[in-house]
Amino acid sequence: MLSISAFFKSLLIIVIAAFLAGGLFIYSGLYPIGADTQHHPITYWLLETLREKSIARAAKGIKIPTDLESADRLLAGGADYNDMCTGCHLKPGRTDSDFTIGLYPSPRNLSSSADGSIHSQIAEPTSNEAIRRQFWIIKHGIKASGMPAWGPTHNEERIWNMVAFLQKLPSLSKSEYQILTARGDVNDTHGTSH
Amino acid sequence: MNMTTSILLSTLLTTTLAAQAHDPKEHKKDAENPDCSEMKNMDHSKMDMDDPVMKAMMKKCKKDMHHDNENNESDSDHAHDDNQNKDEHAEHKH
Repeated sequence: MLSISAFFKSLLIIVIAAFLAGGLFIYSGLYPIGADTQHHPITYWLLETLREKSIARAAKGIKIPTDLESADRLLAGGADYNDMCTGCHLKPGRTDSDFTIGLYPSPRNLSSSADGSIHSQIAEPTSNEAIRRQFWIIKHGIKASGMPAWGPTHNEERIWNMVAFLQKLPSLSKSEYQILTARGDVNDTHGTSH
Repeated sequence: MNMTTSILLSTLLTTTLAAQAHDPKEHKKDAENPDCSEMKNMDHSKMDMDDPVMKAMMKKCKKDMHHDNENNESDSDHAHDDNQNKDEHAEHKH
């Protein structure tokens, strides 16, 4: 039977060997870093769990505004969503884009409630937890995923407007989406066409 | 001295431009106008006016629909005037 000191010596050797093996693997360049090569399921599970647990903890204390259903928020948030998000997260009538095809993991289609993508741990879209999660992700972004942090350039009200719009987006038709996201004023049409 | 001033000014300008990078006003130049034609064809009695989406659409298209209503009213006024004129002409003929 191993003595305690022999056990710790063996453990130390195993840890050093693991670090050396990891270092060798990193410096060898053998890891397939291309976005067109999928993660091993274990790596995917590790990264997804790390992401979801981190967001859930960080977003816990966020206070949701009471006027999230106001028409003004929908109009302001819709216009920003159309300018900033549709390339990756799509809009009614679109099922893919260069970004959704090329990015890995593929960004979630936020215009569809029946998105059967890999985001298995995402909470129900109408729950407060999901609303806090959306706000946090828009504000802070997610490392190495293609999702930028909009917080440095957009104040919290603007981000809440986008969150408000996201709650309605899956139910919008193409024409409803067009009206809600158009930045122009109908008066402009009259000004130019007449 | 001049060198320092120009560096400071260029830094300030760059920072200001970065802060205005996504100002909604910047998008106004090439802004798309709402296509309110479908709103006009909708049966307004069947609309749920408590629905936030409907409220937002009404708000966006209000001016356009109001403009159309005014046109319709003025068209009907013109038609009314035309009928009156026709009646007057008929009276003159008698």
